[in-house]
Amino acid sequence: MTEAEIRAHIDPIRHEYAEGRSLILPALKFAQTEKGHVARADLDAIAAATGFSAAYVESVASFYDRIYLEPVGKRVVSVCVTLSCMLRGSDEVLEALCAHEGLPDHGHHAGGTSSDGEITIQEAQCLGYCDRAPCIQVDAEETVGPLTPDEAVAMLDQLREAPAPVAFWR
Amino acid sequence: MPDYAPVDLAADTLISFELNGRTVSVPPTTMLVDACFAHGVEVPIFCYEPRLGPAIGACRMCLVEVEGMRGLQTACSTPVTADMVVKTTSPQAVDAQDGVLELLLANHPLDCPVCDKGGECPLQDRTFRFGPGQTRFVEPKRHFPKPLNLSNRVALDRERCITCFRCVRFSQDVAQDAQLTMQERGALSEITTLTGEPYEGRFTGNIIDLCPVGALTSIPYRFVSRPWDVANTPSVCGLCSVGCNTELTAREGDVKRVTGRAEPNFAVEEGWLCDKGRWGYDAGRSADRLTQGVIRDDGGDRDALLEEAVEAASLLLRSVTGRVGVLVGASATVEEAAIAQDLAAGALGGARVARLGIPGHGLGVLRGLPGAQLGDLDHADLIVIVGGDPANQQPIAELRVRKARRFGATIASVGPRSHELEALGDSLRTTPGQLAAGVTAIAERIADSGHPIVLWDEADLAAEPDAAAELARIIGANPAGRQLELGAEVNGAGLRALGLPAEGLLEALSAGEIAGLILLHADPLSAPGRGQWSAALEGFEGPVIAIATHTDRSTDLADVVLPALTHWEQEGTLVSMTGRAQRLRPGATGPENAAPGWELLIALAHRLGAPPEYRTPAHAFACLAAAHPAFAGLTYGTIGNEGEVITPPTPTSPNGVNAARPLAGDGVPLVTTTMIYGDRATARSAALAGVRTPAEVMVGPALATESGLTDGAAARLVSLFGESRLTVRVDDAAPEGIAFATLGAPGAPTEALLGPDRGPVRVRMGAV
Amino acid sequence: MPVMNSVYRHREAGTPLTDLVAYRAAGGFKALEKALADMEPDDLLYAFHRSGLRGRGGAGFPMGRKASFLPKDSALATYLVCNADESEPGTFKDREIMEMNPFQLIEGMVLAGHAVGATRGYIYIRGEYEHQARILDRALVAAREGGYLGTDILRSGVTFDLTLYRGAGAYICGEETGLLESLEGKRGQPRLKPPFPAVAGLYASPTLINNVETLAALPPIVEKGADWYAAIGPEKSPGTKIFSVSGHVTRPGNYEVVMGETTCRELLFGMAGGMRSGRSLKAFWVGGSSVPVLGEQHLDTPIDYESLNAAGTFLGSGGCIVMDDSGCIVRATLRLASFYRHESCGKCTPCREGTTWMEKVLQRMVDGQGRIEDLELLESLFGRISGRVLCALADGAVAPIKSALAMFRADFVRVIEEGGSARPEPMMEVAHA
Repeated sequence: MTEAEIRAHIDPIRHEYAEGRSLILPALKFAQTEKGHVARADLDAIAAATGFSAAYVESVASFYDRIYLEPVGKRVVSVCVTLSCMLRGSDEVLEALCAHEGLPDHGHHAGGTSSDGEITIQEAQCLGYCDRAPCIQVDAEETVGPLTPDEAVAMLDQLREAPAPVAFWR
Repeated sequence: MPDYAPVDLAADTLISFELNGRTVSVPPTTMLVDACFAHGVEVPIFCYEPRLGPAIGACRMCLVEVEGMRGLQTACSTPVTADMVVKTTSPQAVDAQDGVLELLLANHPLDCPVCDKGGECPLQDRTFRFGPGQTRFVEPKRHFPKPLNLSNRVALDRERCITCFRCVRFSQDVAQDAQLTMQERGALSEITTLTGEPYEGRFTGNIIDLCPVGALTSIPYRFVSRPWDVANTPSVCGLCSVGCNTELTAREGDVKRVTGRAEPNFAVEEGWLCDKGRWGYDAGRSADRLTQGVIRDDGGDRDALLEEAVEAASLLLRSVTGRVGVLVGASATVEEAAIAQDLAAGALGGARVARLGIPGHGLGVLRGLPGAQLGDLDHADLIVIVGGDPANQQPIAELRVRKARRFGATIASVGPRSHELEALGDSLRTTPGQLAAGVTAIAERIADSGHPIVLWDEADLAAEPDAAAELARIIGANPAGRQLELGAEVNGAGLRALGLPAEGLLEALSAGEIAGLILLHADPLSAPGRGQWSAALEGFEGPVIAIATHTDRSTDLADVVLPALTHWEQEGTLVSMTGRAQRLRPGATGPENAAPGWELLIALAHRLGAPPEYRTPAHAFACLAAAHPAFAGLTYGTIGNEGEVITPPTPTSPNGVNAARPLAGDGVPLVTTTMIYGDRATARSAALAGVRTPAEVMVGPALATESGLTDGAAARLVSLFGESRLTVRVDDAAPEGIAFATLGAPGAPTEALLGPDRGPVRVRMGAV
Repeated sequence: MPVMNSVYRHREAGTPLTDLVAYRAAGGFKALEKALADMEPDDLLYAFHRSGLRGRGGAGFPMGRKASFLPKDSALATYLVCNADESEPGTFKDREIMEMNPFQLIEGMVLAGHAVGATRGYIYIRGEYEHQARILDRALVAAREGGYLGTDILRSGVTFDLTLYRGAGAYICGEETGLLESLEGKRGQPRLKPPFPAVAGLYASPTLINNVETLAALPPIVEKGADWYAAIGPEKSPGTKIFSVSGHVTRPGNYEVVMGETTCRELLFGMAGGMRSGRSLKAFWVGGSSVPVLGEQHLDTPIDYESLNAAGTFLGSGGCIVMDDSGCIVRATLRLASFYRHESCGKCTPCREGTTWMEKVLQRMVDGQGRIEDLELLESLFGRISGRVLCALADGAVAPIKSALAMFRADFVRVIEEGGSARPEPMMEVAHA
């Protein structure tokens, strides 16, 4: 995104914060709606629009799980793996999804982006939908559950076919 | 590095508390960790660094027991209160210290035998004293590819990092360059710059000193030495007028490293160094270093042994006794300059001595006002920067101003050029000749301030004496007002204190009154007014003797060159811009066939038949202290490691010198600029090779068009005093109608445009 | 299904109240009207105090007392911040309030903001709750249009507006100073305390931070009176508390319990349906994952702060995770250890290094490389991590491991001796509350 686009997003809300630094996170989240991740040029644009260094913006971005500094798939599928979901079969769901996409399914690096660049699968920590365990969040938009591994794979196939929203948070 | 903040145990108000069973006293608000240290109890720390700002309590190394408080407390963030009962060695506290070290070491590579920090590593030392004897961690350790170069000078070994945040806080809060950050989180946290970018700036090397482990190391010093194989010598940096206190690490007679001192000078640099001061030392080994004497006669140039060269110089001088001129450069020590004065008055039969520098007749009014040290900026509520560019010319002053800003001071700038500190507050840009009006504009703020300190630039105020007078009036009107000179030259204050004039010699030379010339660390052919010096020396028949450390334009025409030692190699005294006399101590021995300037001058005196009473710099200093009131009562002993502020003779400005000076010549006004890495000292340093910046003339787009200049192309500049060529930089942000040209660069292009007194000039420009 | 005497209007009404008209019809904003018409800010503070309401985020600190810590007549702006970063594993009760009843939260915030003299409040909502954020966005617009937010609220001259701030995925931002750092645009690393947020919080200004459930409880307290609320349940733990029950129960969901009158058994077996047939309870973490685990022997403990403390655990956030005897306590503990390793912010040594170490040791056990001396090693690490850091995350990381090891030591020994723990069959049945 350009500095002007970032400004157009944050200038109207600038007055809500005593310090402009607070605009970095909204700007990061907004920038991410374009490509799904925050690229170097986005960091520079946010830096210019907020008055903080790109290094600082990157440092803030890297703290949060849901700001991606590397490219992600068109759709990001987050599989909750925390205890409630684990007890309800989230490991099985994650493994099924990873197997379906040919991605590693265990260790600290489970998941990744499918070879066609369409889908990113990642582990997530408790999503707050434990009543629907095991649950999956599609982008940051929709959380679904409970799902069996087969249902999850079917959902992934549907997702691949469905057109992605125009601008959305992942 | 200093780990604990100094505690004034002699303060007026003290409170008592119980420390490990004994009752001790400290001033109120003292942090417990500092209070303990002041009373001989070392509470181990890693992240605590009082110079970085308030404690962050991250490393948890300093946990101690405080009676009545639940759990253990971080001593770094717990202020002492009256009657508090503190136990730093209780079983609980000891277990906490042991525990934190065990956890820190869990993933630490323990590659101490091949780590540059080994032997001077706080992690090693604290583990030895407070830590576990063995590890229970049997898991694979965290691994990173090693090491990573943050820049050409700083290496980062991420495996060794203990995430203490010191380096990051330095970058964010002290240098405020915002380049170094922590990325990711938890165990994946790592210090880094913006991906793919190096850490470049004016102060990057301080993170090496700050790092309490071997994560950040100096690349030029990498694998050079172990700490027990070196000798460390406290000295002073001689690269600018700030006078930062340094420590020279030497091995086998050579300086291998320059760092801040373990006990910093809080009145000056507070332990920080700029990167030029840290890595500029290898200028002593540069290709243009003079390692032999040179004798230039009918037979041509030849290298000569030191003895031979001194003998040749004395023979030449003997023939012109009584009509000799001595020109002292600003890097000469107080001792060298005073010995030169003695030589001139004695053996040379009353020679004329002058310094190569800014006359500054109009500056007496400012210098006569109460002065401040850099450390006083901590307590200022208003800091006004008049002229200059501290970030590039007196870099540590930048950090001190930034700190004052953090402490709540208001910053205001007024002057002819942009500079880094302008952004800290209001800024008023003046055109040459209009500085006085700019100064008037800030009068009210100075008048209203409780503790104002005005930083004023020697060269800019000398060029506009009317502004100096106005500024002096304004500061003087506030009883609390103080001034702090941003000196243009290394030892300018020392040479002035000896009474050396900046004028007269060139005039005498031009008038044919001089028959022989001694250049003591002086290169007039690269100085402002070099055209006039060149004209005066052209066809000069008499002998020229140059005492110098490196070849330069002037040594190239000298009949005899005597190779001298640098500031890293010799003893002596420098007086900083704030009047601190501070001692140079040799870290390196220097070239075998070179000698310190003071020794060369004494040798000349001996050969000329008038030996002085002194034979050592200490003795010479004692003699000059007796002769010059400014140094009265000072000895090497009293100067010590901290330095002493001299009492310069009360300066007065002669009547009439505070009138505005017209800009000489025609064309557009010239404003000189300085770049920290654009000078001759940087050019000589291999370690700084990657950061050098070229000389340039910067103009706005309209002026560029008007003058037919294009960005990146060469321009020819002509002033009343000379001409030169510079590369053009067209900057959209540059004020129009003014040419900004780099001073101090190798080849001294801009110096050719200035007169010997560095007065304001106009230039005409055109494409080449 | 309507719930009698619920503190939350959507539960009382048995229907979502995401529409302003519906919320008003259900009695919404009556408290605000009453407060603005008849009460001074100090009256409100006193009502909060007398109600005995305790913070529902996890620590259970009396809300009124917390609000009273804010300096009066501060020269700086005062802020109110709602902690909607509900990230505690097993907890989804704030989600329900924001989804079903956003206006009650808004009304509660206007009341709290007015009480402490704030003119701006922030709702910091976790990034994963984008759906709920949009519901709140709409509710904020409607509330502003309805005159319940902004300048001159209900023509009272009172100004208070709310900003919704979206997080981006970091558990530690639920820690109040981590939240403030994040809201200030920094990395969400907790601050050294003191100063506490009441004195120097957001932008170094006096700041009151409360959880969604806490703030949403304020309207009925104001409307029906502090005495009404204080009379519900025991004196020290009055009111109701929403428990999120999940894991191996047949009816996972949110259940509002009257403090002191409901036992764990009633919650797990009565409300949440109990275990699958053929399965019995193995363990449950009653207040989120950061609390010591309980077992069958604790089922008759009444749910209130004091009783649960007496049982060796905490009421916490009310995120009750249940595991039946099909589950492996070592694997469950490892999964929680991984969570805390992932979420440790990295600032304090003991937490950063300790969570990593504990996870590695537990992983080895599960993988069959455990050594019996690892149990002793873990036990010695607990005290070196817990209580020696800036915030509560490390305590939360240690509590479930330490308690599991104490209560189920035999299971750990068995996993070590048997060379690891095979993954059990998960409970795949689908059931809703």
